Amino acid sequence: MKIALAQISPQLGNTAKNLDLHLRTIEKARRRKADLIVFPELSLTGYTLMDLVPDVAFDPARHPPFQKLVARSRTLDIVVGFVEERGRGLFTNSAAYLSGGRIVHIHRKAFLPTGGMFEEAKFFAPGKSFRAFDTSFGKAGLMVCRDFLSYGAGYALFAGGADFIIIISAAPGRGMTAGKAFVTSRMWELMGEAISYFSTAFVVYCNRVGFEDGKAFAGGSFIFGPHGRLLAKAPEVEEDLVVADLRLEDIRAARKKWTFRRDDRPEVILHSLQRIVGDNED
Amino acid sequence: MKINYAFVEKVLCAFIREELHKFGFGSGIVGLSGGLDSSVCAALAARALGGKNVLGMILPYKDTLDKDIEDARDLARKLGIRTRLIDIAPMVDAYFSRHATDNRVRIGNKMARERMSILYDHSALEKALILGTSNKTELLLGYGTIHGDMACAINPLGDLYKTQVRALGGHLRLPTRILKKTPTAGLWPGQTDEGEIGLSYPEIDAILYELVDERRPAKEVIASGFKKEAVKKIERMIIRSEFKRKMPPIAKISSRTVGHDFLYSYDRNR
Repeated sequence: MKIALAQISPQLGNTAKNLDLHLRTIEKARRRKADLIVFPELSLTGYTLMDLVPDVAFDPARHPPFQKLVARSRTLDIVVGFVEERGRGLFTNSAAYLSGGRIVHIHRKAFLPTGGMFEEAKFFAPGKSFRAFDTSFGKAGLMVCRDFLSYGAGYALFAGGADFIIIISAAPGRGMTAGKAFVTSRMWELMGEAISYFSTAFVVYCNRVGFEDGKAFAGGSFIFGPHGRLLAKAPEVEEDLVVADLRLEDIRAARKKWTFRRDDRPEVILHSLQRIVGDNED
Repeated sequence: MKINYAFVEKVLCAFIREELHKFGFGSGIVGLSGGLDSSVCAALAARALGGKNVLGMILPYKDTLDKDIEDARDLARKLGIRTRLIDIAPMVDAYFSRHATDNRVRIGNKMARERMSILYDHSALEKALILGTSNKTELLLGYGTIHGDMACAINPLGDLYKTQVRALGGHLRLPTRILKKTPTAGLWPGQTDEGEIGLSYPEIDAILYELVDERRPAKEVIASGFKKEAVKKIERMIIRSEFKRKMPPIAKISSRTVGHDFLYSYDRNR
C-alpha cells in the first residue's frame, strides 16, 4: 500500500484556491500510484482563522466544492481537514476520510489547544469521541493535531482496533536547539514512535508548512510502522509530497511478536476511568 | 541559548520570501546603518530574495561616522544589493532650527522617525516591503524608538537575542569589522547600548533568557547567581516598555471593536 503525505501550505481563508491545490496534489499522488493521500489540519481553510471560522465553514454533505473532493476519492482514499458546520452555528475543526466516492468517517477535534499562542476553544466547539472505522486497508482512526498529544486518545483508537492511526496537523514549530529542527518536532515524533510501537499499528502524521502571522508550521510529516520504526519523514518547514510504500503484513508480524493488542483489557481501563470520573472532584 | 544557525537561516529566509510573496511584493527594503542588526537582516534578505531584489537605504546624519557609511556600502557590494544614500540632516535640522533643543534623546528619536518616514516613502515608491531589524533584546527592553526604528512591515530578527544575531552574522560570513562593532542605537555620537544600559549584552541576554524563555521569577534568577541590580533593572525595563510592543488601546464602546473582538489574522486571505 502507498500513502502520500501532502505537506502543503494552504492559503488562509481562501477555500477555492486551497481546493484547487488539493485537486492538483491529489493528481500528483495518483500519478505516483498512491492508495491514500493525507492532507494537514484545516487544509482547505488555513489555520489562524479566528473570526473567519463562520465564513469558511460548510456542511460536507451539502457543499458542492467539497463534493469534488469526495468524487476524487473513487481513485484513491483522501483525508482532508476543514471547518464543519453542524446544525446551525456550531463549528468544529474536522477531519474527513473519503473513499469510493463517499464520506466514510468524520472526526471532530476533541482537544482544542487554548492558552499561550493557541486559542481554538474561542472559535470551535469540541468533538466528543474517537472511533476506529473500516477502510479497504484495515481499521483506521483519525485525530487532529493536539488530539494526538493526549495519549488516552491514542489508546481509544488502539482499543477500537485501529491498524492505522492518522493524524492531521497544523503544528507550529517552537523552540530551537543545536539540532536542525524545532524542539516540538521531536515531541511529535516521540509520540508517533511510542504509539505505533505499543499499538502495533501504523502511525501516519501529516503536518503543514508555511507561515501565518509569523508562526512557522514545522512540517516534518512522518509514518511509523507497527514495529515503531520510522518509514518516511518529510523535511522541516519545506513543502513536499512524500509517497511511502507500506507492507500491510507488517501489522500481523508486529502482533505476532508483541501481544499488546491481544492482552489489552479495555474493561479494566474503563472501570478505572468510570471510578475516576465518578469521583467528580476538582 | 545554543541554536542551529543553518536551520535559523532556513526558517528566516522562508519567512521573508513567503511574507513578501503573500502581500504581492517582490522586493524588500532594509535601512542600513553599517551596524550588526541591519547587516544581518540585509544578508538574510539577499539570500531569500536575491541581491537585486533588496534595497539598502543608507540614511546618515551629519554626525554619522564615514566608516559606518563605508561599511554599509561595502556590505551592500558584497551582498550584491542596491543602495541609496539620503542625508537626513536637512529635514531634521529644519525642524530643530524652529524648535531648538539640546535634549539628545529628542533629537535622536526625531532622526529615527525621519529615517522611518523615508523608508516608508520608498516602500511606496519601490513597491517593496520594509524589513525590520529590532532584535529580541531590544524589543524586550524597549530599547528602540517607537514609530522610528521599531516600525516595519515584517521583522525577521525579533525572536533572536543580540548575542544570537551576532552568531548568525558569523554564520552568514559578514565582514569581521561589522561582527566586532560596538552596538549603538546611534542616537548621539559615542553612545553605546551597553554603556547606556550598564550591562553587557551576554549578561542581558542570559538574564532575559531566564526571565522570558524559561519564565523563571526574578527571585529565582537572582538566587541562581545573577546580580540582583541587573535582574531588577532588566525586569523594570521590560515592564516599562510594554506600550512599545502593543497596538495602542482603543476605547471600547460598540459591540465589535478593532483591537478587542474584531479578530482577524494579519495574513488574512493572503
